[in-house]
Amino acid sequence: MPDIQVILADLGWPLAIAVAWLSGEFVHRWTRLPRISVYGLVGFLLAQAFPEALSSGASSNVTILANLAFGLILFEFGYRINLHWLRINPWIAVSGLVESAATFGVVYLISHLSGMPSLTSLLLASLAMSTSPAGVLRVINEENSSGQVTERVLHLVAINSVVALFVFKVVVGFWVFQTSGSLTQAISHSGIELLVSAAMGAIMGFIVPLLLRRLGALAQDGTIAFALGVILLVAASRALDVSPVLATLTFGLAARHKRVAFSRTERNFGGIGELLTVLLFVFAVSTLEWERVVDGAALAAVLLLARFVVKAASVAAFAHVGGISWRKGLLTGIALSPMSVFVTLLLEQTKYMGIVLVDELAALAAMTLLLEVVGPVITQRALVWANETPGKEKP
Amino acid sequence: MALEEFKSSKALTMGVELELQLVSLSDFDLTASSPDLLHLLSRKPFPGNVTPEITESMIEINSDVHTNHTELVAQLQVIRDTLVQAGEQLNIGICGGGTHPFQKWSERRIFSKPRFKEVSELYGYLAKQFTIFGQHVHIGCESGDDALFLLHSLSRYVPHFIALSSSSPYVQGNDTLFNSARLNSVFAFPMSGRAPFTQSWHTFEHEYFAKMEHTGVIKSMKDFYWDIRPKPEFGTIELRVCDTPLTVERAAALAVYLQALCRYLLERREEPPAEDDYLVYNYNRFQACRFGLDGTVVHPKTYESVSLREDILTTLRKMEPHAAALGSTAGLQHLVRITHEGSDAHYLRQQFDSSGSVEGVVDAAIQRFRGR
Repeated sequence: MPDIQVILADLGWPLAIAVAWLSGEFVHRWTRLPRISVYGLVGFLLAQAFPEALSSGASSNVTILANLAFGLILFEFGYRINLHWLRINPWIAVSGLVESAATFGVVYLISHLSGMPSLTSLLLASLAMSTSPAGVLRVINEENSSGQVTERVLHLVAINSVVALFVFKVVVGFWVFQTSGSLTQAISHSGIELLVSAAMGAIMGFIVPLLLRRLGALAQDGTIAFALGVILLVAASRALDVSPVLATLTFGLAARHKRVAFSRTERNFGGIGELLTVLLFVFAVSTLEWERVVDGAALAAVLLLARFVVKAASVAAFAHVGGISWRKGLLTGIALSPMSVFVTLLLEQTKYMGIVLVDELAALAAMTLLLEVVGPVITQRALVWANETPGKEKP
Repeated sequence: MALEEFKSSKALTMGVELELQLVSLSDFDLTASSPDLLHLLSRKPFPGNVTPEITESMIEINSDVHTNHTELVAQLQVIRDTLVQAGEQLNIGICGGGTHPFQKWSERRIFSKPRFKEVSELYGYLAKQFTIFGQHVHIGCESGDDALFLLHSLSRYVPHFIALSSSSPYVQGNDTLFNSARLNSVFAFPMSGRAPFTQSWHTFEHEYFAKMEHTGVIKSMKDFYWDIRPKPEFGTIELRVCDTPLTVERAAALAVYLQALCRYLLERREEPPAEDDYLVYNYNRFQACRFGLDGTVVHPKTYESVSLREDILTTLRKMEPHAAALGSTAGLQHLVRITHEGSDAHYLRQQFDSSGSVEGVVDAAIQRFRGR
């Protein structure tokens, strides 16, 4: 008779994914709530009930798969970013930078005033700037939305995620410098890491389209070639200790600007992409513990409210000059709510350096859980209120 | 509601309507952006007129009434530049082309306007499949009788306009092997095709229209999707078979070709139109849609088979004095060039071959519309 613990360890993740997927389908059909919110909630509850079965180390298969899932989403995300637009209409970039900076400032101020150490506050503020590309893209694809709120949210998320990643790495570099005293080590953990990741993505974004053109079968082979490119990039980033986030995002950007087709029918990378997404969203909350969530809930609520108001107001302020109505501007800012998946994976990648932020930051745990579940709902509502979803119209 | 009286207008004046595609520059698919674009355009004066179309991924622009090619093309260029600039501010690509090469009709959204909602209720999926883009040309007529005479006399030239404007080879991601696949979508509507044969406005109004209205099938002229239809409130006939070309210059050239033809036909030197002209109408129309300039049409009077390209060139030569009188020689020369270089459908296929993707085709159409 095999040990029940061994069976649970083997079956834990597959069962959790199956339960999360089923729950997502049922709840979505009854309530139209975003599936990913349900995945997150189910993941969190299961992780509390069966902590052993859903444990994951930095090098576990689940972590690798989650990174891969995130890589695929970021590629698709990068593919939809039009850098030329940011040059033509600079107000998009301005509002992105302003909302990021304002979020950083406000979150830092509140956490610092609440007695948190300076460095920890800086890390928390840098993470709070970002909106989850995975959360936003999944809601947009699920709702099949299109319009200015949709377009602008995508571009603003790209901006704030890159800014957040950059600032986070700089703060981590500063942390490393403070603890090790080695400037070289600090720089290698921030600047060089960012540069190498971006370069790897750009090179892949050059090679894959070139190869596809040589093969002459863009439409048929595009999706699989891009998926393989993402797998290679994620693996290489892990091997070289650089950022798979930046690498896959740059890959998408470069491929898009080479005008190579990523077929719309393959959004989310088809069925396998969907499956990996369930895993990603379950994984993102499986590292959180109920006690920490409760401990940090009060501060998290204040921070989240401040983040929400700052983002909405900053983006709305530039709506008119940017060419849209005040209302759509406000809704764009509101749609920037989701945060968690980006943060969780960033922290996962930072763990190996001995920086285990979730353990130190109870507020972050609570924010992550709340935004994993509530964030996508807010984005979905913003898109619906902006009339950018097909709604109840019959096909 | 009885048919409106035919409002007399100055003969041979012309106006152009173009239905245009709104494309997301993020992924080159159609985007439901007409409310956003119309909002931005409403902030300053527009050099013509811009209105929503049935789905939110389309807009329609129309020119003022013009008498010559120079003014028409100049206004269309100003309209285009205004649209392109607004589109760029919103990350929306704007282009011509009779179909979007890979959009899924099921994903389209009906623009929130009572008439569009009614059409959608009645026609079901056909309304969304109507996410196709055409050019309409209006020619002013002094009387309803003139309008119906021109309408039927022009039927023999309808394939010319289909072939010269054809720009819809791709549908749902595939090459349809048609040069204008757009017209196949129009044909699905029960009130499409040709108008009934009558040359008297009185008969048309009191016998045909009144009866049709009595059946309850139609309420106004808008319910007819004919290839050419009279527009009594404007005092015009409206040619509706053209795909939206990829450039406004081509749109202007097609308009002045129609204007020259009308001038020629109004001299009444040709044999008058007859019901039997329509025996070959659908076949000729099909040839033009399927093979474009390479099609073969049957002359409705002599039953002689002729190459469409040759027929167009012969007619263009015959129109030269009329074009000279109307100041539209440049427009006709543009059309002569098309018969040599190939239509927009030919251009789009070339773009597919060089870019390897339907997204590349859309991108090329956007660049071509910009005219820079």
